[in-house]
Order: sequence, then C-alpha cells, then structure tokens
Amino acid sequence: MPLLSPSPNEWVSVSARLEAEHLFKVFGRRQNEAVERLREGATREELRADGTTAAVIDVSFTVGPGQIFVVMGLSGSGKSTLLRMLNGLLEPTAGRVLFDGRDLTALSGRDLREVRARKISMVFQHFALFPHRSVLDNAAYGLAVQGAPRAEREERATEALRLCGLAGWEKSWPDELSGGMQQRVGLARALATDADLLLMDESFSALDPLIRRDMQDQLLTLQQTLKKTIVFITHDLNEAMRLGDRIAVMRDGRIVQTGTAEDILLRPGNDYVASFIQDVDRSRVLTASAVMDPHVRGDEADCGCETATPDTPFTTLCALSARLTHPVAVLDGGRGLVGVVPRRRLVGLLGDAEGPGTPCDRERNRRKEVTARA
Amino acid sequence: MPRLRLGDGVDSGLDWLVTHLSWLFDAVKTVVQGMYDGIDAVLTAPQPLLLAGILAVLAWWLRGLLAGALAFAGFALIDSLALWDEAMSTLSLVLVATAVALVISIPLGIWAARSQPVAAALRPVLDLLQTMPSMVLLIPAILFFGMGVPAGVVATLIFALAPGVRMTELGIRQVDAELVEAAEAFGTTPRDTLFRVQLPLALPTIMAGVNQVIMLGLSMVVIAGMVGTGGLGGAVNEAIGQLDIGLGFEAGLGIVVLAVYLDRMTGALGTRISPLGRRAAARARTGVWAHRPRPTVALSGVAVLALVAGGLGVLGPSSGGAAASATDVGRGREISIGYIPWDEGIASTYLWKELLEERGFKVKTTQYAAGPLYTGLATGQIDFQTDSWLPTTHAEYWKKYGDRLDDLGRWYGPTSLELSVPSYMKDVNSLADLKDHAAEFGGRITGIEPSAGMMGLLKDKVLEEYGLDGAYRVVDGSTPAMLAELKRAYARKQPIVVTLWSPHWAYSTYDLKKLKDPEGAWGEGDGVHTLARQDFAADQPEVGAWLKDFRMTEEQLTGLEAQIQRAGKGKEQDAVRTWLKGHPGLVDRWVPVAGAGHGSRAAG
Repeated sequence: MPLLSPSPNEWVSVSARLEAEHLFKVFGRRQNEAVERLREGATREELRADGTTAAVIDVSFTVGPGQIFVVMGLSGSGKSTLLRMLNGLLEPTAGRVLFDGRDLTALSGRDLREVRARKISMVFQHFALFPHRSVLDNAAYGLAVQGAPRAEREERATEALRLCGLAGWEKSWPDELSGGMQQRVGLARALATDADLLLMDESFSALDPLIRRDMQDQLLTLQQTLKKTIVFITHDLNEAMRLGDRIAVMRDGRIVQTGTAEDILLRPGNDYVASFIQDVDRSRVLTASAVMDPHVRGDEADCGCETATPDTPFTTLCALSARLTHPVAVLDGGRGLVGVVPRRRLVGLLGDAEGPGTPCDRERNRRKEVTARA
Repeated sequence: MPRLRLGDGVDSGLDWLVTHLSWLFDAVKTVVQGMYDGIDAVLTAPQPLLLAGILAVLAWWLRGLLAGALAFAGFALIDSLALWDEAMSTLSLVLVATAVALVISIPLGIWAARSQPVAAALRPVLDLLQTMPSMVLLIPAILFFGMGVPAGVVATLIFALAPGVRMTELGIRQVDAELVEAAEAFGTTPRDTLFRVQLPLALPTIMAGVNQVIMLGLSMVVIAGMVGTGGLGGAVNEAIGQLDIGLGFEAGLGIVVLAVYLDRMTGALGTRISPLGRRAAARARTGVWAHRPRPTVALSGVAVLALVAGGLGVLGPSSGGAAASATDVGRGREISIGYIPWDEGIASTYLWKELLEERGFKVKTTQYAAGPLYTGLATGQIDFQTDSWLPTTHAEYWKKYGDRLDDLGRWYGPTSLELSVPSYMKDVNSLADLKDHAAEFGGRITGIEPSAGMMGLLKDKVLEEYGLDGAYRVVDGSTPAMLAELKRAYARKQPIVVTLWSPHWAYSTYDLKKLKDPEGAWGEGDGVHTLARQDFAADQPEVGAWLKDFRMTEEQLTGLEAQIQRAGKGKEQDAVRTWLKGHPGLVDRWVPVAGAGHGSRAAG
C-alpha cells in the first residue's frame, strides 16, 4: 500500500497535475461582495444572515500526478461543491483551477466539455448509472461522447470492466447488479475514457462496510498500475487514511489542515481535527517510521533478531515486538539503523498516552521492568 | 365596483385578429384540413373489416393476442352499428389534433423543464386553456377557421395541449439530477444530454402525457361535433338533439371503443419504445393470450392486409357515373346547407338536398347549434339554412348578423310560440290561469336553451304581462331535456308547464294544450325564413331564385315530417324521395329548369 509519504518538496514541482488557487464558491445574492468580505475575514455565519451561503472559502491545494488527494469533511463542509469546481460543473465565484497548466475557469463551454470528455472523469456517490443502458454501454458512455467508433469503445469498455472485476457482466443491466458491482461499473466508466484525473465523490459511502473495504483495496490495486491523479471526497476519516497520499480536512468551507495520514493523526492542527482522529484505528495507519524513536545508540541492530523497515505497518511491529525481548530495530533500504521502537511506545500510541511513564511505587515491579529493558 | 369591460376588449381583439391575421388562419386551416383529409382518406379507403384487421394486428403486436382479438371485435362492432365512416372521421380528427398538440406541447414542455421562468409563465396559460369552458373556445375557433374540421381540431388541441406540456416537463424534471450531472461530467453537450439521457428516461411519463392528450381529445370530440366536424361527435349531438337515446348510446359506444383502443395502444407503445419498459414487459410476458408476434411478422401482416385493401380499392366498383342532361344545372358545384335539428329544419334541409342533387349540385348538409349556425352563415362558411324563425324568435341573431345575411324570404308560416300543459291539467287553459296554480306547478316553467329567442321573450315580456314574475321561475336547460322532462311528467300525470312551439311533433305524440295568450304577449307568429350568406344569390343565381320562390303548406310540411319520422334515423333523404314520388310535379315546380324533362330520381 502506497502510504509512504514523499518528501514535502515533491509537491511543489512544476509537473503538478492539479492546482486549486484560492477557490471561493458563494451562492445567493451579491457574490463578489461576499467574496471580498470573506477575504477580509468575515465568517460563514455573518454572510448567512444576509442570505448568502459561502460553500467554499479560499481553498488552495496541489495534487501531484499519480497521487490520491482526499478531501475529508462532514456534510455541509463544502467538499462536494469544491469537487464540482474542479471539473467546471460549478463555476468558482473566485479563484482558479489549473489542470496540466491550463486554467479551467477560463475555458469556453465547448472547451470545458472537451476537457471533461477526455481528461477528467467522475465517480458518483449513488453510482449515477444510466438505467436505460446496458453495463457495457454505461462503461462506454464517455467514449461515446468522445465520438469513438463502436468497435473501439466496446473494446475499451470491456477492458475497463475487466479491470474492475466485471468480466462477463457486459450484457447485464445496472439494476440487476448489487451496489458494489454497480459502483464497479461507475469506476469502469470513469477509467474507460483514459482520463488523467479521476474525481470521486463519496464514491464508496453508499456501500456496506465489507464491500467498501473491497472497493478501497481494488482502487489501491488499480492505482498501483494506472497511476491516475485522484481527488477523493469522503466523510469517513478511516477511508481517508486508507486511501489518501495526502488529506485535506474541511470544515465550514475552509481547509483546516492538509497533510499525510500520519501528519493528521500524530500532529492534528487544531481541536476539531483532534476530535476527529479519536475514532481512527491507528494500527491501520501508522508505520514504523512514524512510531520509531530516531535517537539511537547505534548498536540496537547488532543482534541477530528480526528487524523492521520504515514502512512496516503498526500491527506487524506489534507482532515483532511481542516476539522480541528488546525494542525493534528499524533499518532503511541500505540496512542502516534509522530508529528503534520500544514496546512502551506501541502500547502508548494505542492507548493515546504520550510522554514518559510514571515510575511504579513498588520495588518488585520496577525491577521487572529493568530486567526487560536489559 | 365599476363594471370592467373585459369582454369588449376580447371582442375587439378577436375582430382585429380576424381582419389582420386571416392569412395565418387560412394557412393553418389548409394544413390541418390537408392532414385530416389525408388520414381520413387512408382510413376509409379499405373495407372496414380489413382495416379492423390491420388495427387488430397492431394491437396483437403491441399488447398480445387477447388485445388483438378484442380490438377486432370492437371495430367490427362499430362497423355493425353502421358508424364506420363516422368513427374513422373521428379517429382522423383525434389523430390530427394529437399530432399537432404533440408537435407544440413536447417542445414547450422541454423548454419549461429547462427554464424556470418559462415554466412559471406557462403554468397559468395552461390552466386557462384547460379549464376555460370548451364552448367559449369553440366560437372564436369558428371565427378564425370557419365551421368544420379545422375549427374542431384547433378547439380539441387547445383543450388537449396542457397535459402534453405538463407531463413532458414533469418527466424531464423527474430524471435523477445525479444522472444529468453524470452526463455533464463526461462532457455531454446539453443537446445530447436531452436526447441521450433526459428524454429516454422521461419517456414513460411523456407517453402518459400523450395518452392524456388523446383521451382529452376524444372527450372534446363530442363538443367539436357542434361546429360541424361530423364524425361520432356529430352523431352524438344529432342523437341528443332529437332525443334519440338509442343512437346516442351507439355513437357513444363507438367513442368508447376508440378511446379504449387508443389508450391501450399508446400505453403499450410507451413500453415498447422505452428501453426500461421493454425490459419490464419482457420479464412479465407469459401465457398464450399475451403472445406477441415478432415485429417482422406483425409488419408483414399489416402489409398483406394493406395490400389486399389497396387491391380491393382499385378493383372495386367505382361509384357515380355522370348523368349529364338538361336538368344538370349545378354541374357538380358544391353547396353546403346548415341546419338545427328541429323537425321542420330537418325536413326542409333534406328536401333541398334532394332537390339540388336532382339538379346536379353536390350538397353537404351539416347539423349545428343555433349560435354556430348563424356565425357560420355570417362568415360565409355555410351557403344557406332554411330554419330561421323571424321576426321574433331569432331576433337576437338577426340583430347581430342581419347585415351580413341575405333573407331569401318566408317559406312557411305563421308559426306560434306558446307555453303548453298536458291536457290532464283541466283548470289551466290560458296564461292568465297560471298565476293561481303556481304552487301546483312548483313555480317552475321548464324552458329550453337560454340562448333561444323564445326564452328571452318569455322572461322579458310574457311573465311580466301576466304578472307571473314572482310566482314562476323559468328553468334554463335544453330542448332534449325539456322534452325528456315532459315525457317523464306526462307518464306520471304530474303537473308540468313547458315552452313549446308549433309546428312540433310533441303535439302529435302527447295530448297537450297550448295556453291561450289573450294579451298577445308572444306577439305575432313567426315565419320560417331561408337565410343565405351575403353573396349566395349572386354566386348561385338559379338556386337563389328557387329558394326565393319556395313555399310549403302546412299539409306538405307535416306530411313530409311524418314520412321522415316513419323512415327513421339516417334515412331522411330516402323519405324525402318517397314523399316526392307521392307528390309528382313538385320537383319541377320548386326547382324549374327551362325545357327540363320529367325524368327524376324520385319518379324513376
């Protein structure tokens, strides 16, 4: 799983695929005036009193090629509005969307449709399959819009369906499929056009938990070979942590924190984000690099015991730690020692307890701990 | 509150439209009449049972074997009721009205679905069209398009327009917004979104709208029959005008068969052309009665029947055959006579139809209500009518249209208007006696159509003259309703006083007493006049001269009416022929031709 985060420098490179620059979306009267007031620091509530709704406020981010960028927020946080500005379904009140160096907000209707037909595709929360078209015709829809010849679009749609695990279902109808299968069709439809950018609007939220897990795994598997640029909207932080190379947390129209899953988890930007991560299953997110203590003596790996790598998952670390009598050594690709993971740290993360331990008031227990440390 | 003269504005607006936009109305009229003639020609070309077969095969294909069998039975029933031509005429009218209504309403519905202001503006207009009483629409339609099919089609389609627009709008708005968004997200143009996503998914709702348009059109057909569209609506009107419940029921049944057929067929067509409906139908299909042929089989069935029909049409006997002679004055010139279904009107109209056909004219007779009849005559749509009661009864019409009409003189008279009671009302002999018996009659005088001239006379003059104003209330209704009420009361020997006139067949059917009018409040008796459109006598000098000289005695008129009554419905002209045969010499007296032989159809 590609949860290893690249160094921050990589995100500002010129090869960036998608950039949002100070996007605003205001509904209602006197929109430009409202944007001005928001820039001067007015809050959403102040505007609402005047009958204007600020859905998205000053949102900027950059998504590099082949990355999954997750926008996480509760309902009403403006995340779906934000997503629809990325492919021009909604026109931003202010700000720009740059995709592959082109300013989408400056395009004519015709050019914008061309971009949507070839470069950007979308997967919807409730699948949005056309009930009057067969599975194959649904998957081939984007190609039909492009004007591809029938033979070509059926071939490519069949291939997209196969990738999504639906080989053999081409002749079926959407309503004959389960929810998970329907969303696979939705995914196939988005992949068939060979678009570079995939917008996914709560695409797995309507599925039951087991199916959702399957779909997440499938998306990650596909992503390893396809390397699409993906913007994924969700209200589920667990999903965001599982999928996102980077995560933006939205609240009341603004992005309150952007970072990797570990950034969010270990260094929540404010109380709002902190309250979110309480329910997150850390063991699924954290890896050795996030957990380890980088201050090493140098000889921790000199024994013949098992070691970990920086991206060893938390659960594996726990298993290792259980088998060893001393902290787990973490070695990088060149087999150099980069850190150690003491068992107390693992247990502390699970219990959300940080800082140094409290000494025990009875001699017997303290001696036992010393023994273990030795 | 000051009286708002809205009606005057409407009147002058209509006048302006008639004078300035007549080219437009003429164009519309030509198109509609052409469509109607074309469809009617196709429908009436084959043998009735062959066409019934074609329609049955369509039903079989669209709905199944049972539907096909029932369709055939239904159309065979219409044929056996001798209403085939009327039914096909009605079917053509409904099809034309539906086609035009859909051409207008579906684009309007689409527009309304995509634009909120348009939807908001359309809604009250649709309400107006749908709820404005149909007769109110009918008269302007006559002014614009003249009597006949175009006016009927326009009135029908205006009435039927609203559900087409509404259901189209609703259907498109109902399409899941996420699907439309999905189409847009994949770069679909608005036009393709409409045709590839919205319309296919809205189709079931739109087809329900089409269905409603057809049903409303059929229900309007009866009313359209009043403006001379003929067909089953005309038959129904004629039947209720003459209190012929049996014929009315038969014609009504014909409309029901058409309605059920069209309803089921459009419903089935909806499922056939919508992909979703097709799949649902495919799952549901079971059993032999639901068996449906494959489209190719159905198509070839229809084609074979159509070919047979076409073949018979070509090989069949060609009717007619010119009998040119010195008596052929008309040389096929067409004359249209309008009539109100009153006995003397029917008798004189069919008499003149026979006489003029004898002289080589082509004559079309059409039944109207009094209002449309005068409107049609004044606008030149009708050549003449023989049943104008002047100077009293039809005074209102004469006042309004007299300057655009040509009075060809009185051919019968005097007539009389009266209030009548059954003769078992022993103590009531004169209008003056009514006052003391108000309680007995329940203070009710059973009247006829409020538009009738004698009703105005009764309310404004007669009641006042005899001091009946407070004691009696004149109940507006219709002639058939009045006669039905009379029949019911007469059978139970209950007190009743009705408005009646002489000559009338009621006097020979029931034992009635005309109430004496010592004060002469009803005025002098009317004469029955022939009225023609303004230039008719100049256009057809022979006919004009014949009509001016036409007179009938009471013995002749009652004899002819009796002959027609005996012959029964639909055989009026045969009765006239028989009657003329019994009165030799009348033909040459009424329609003299210089050097004419004495050979006539009536005599020969």
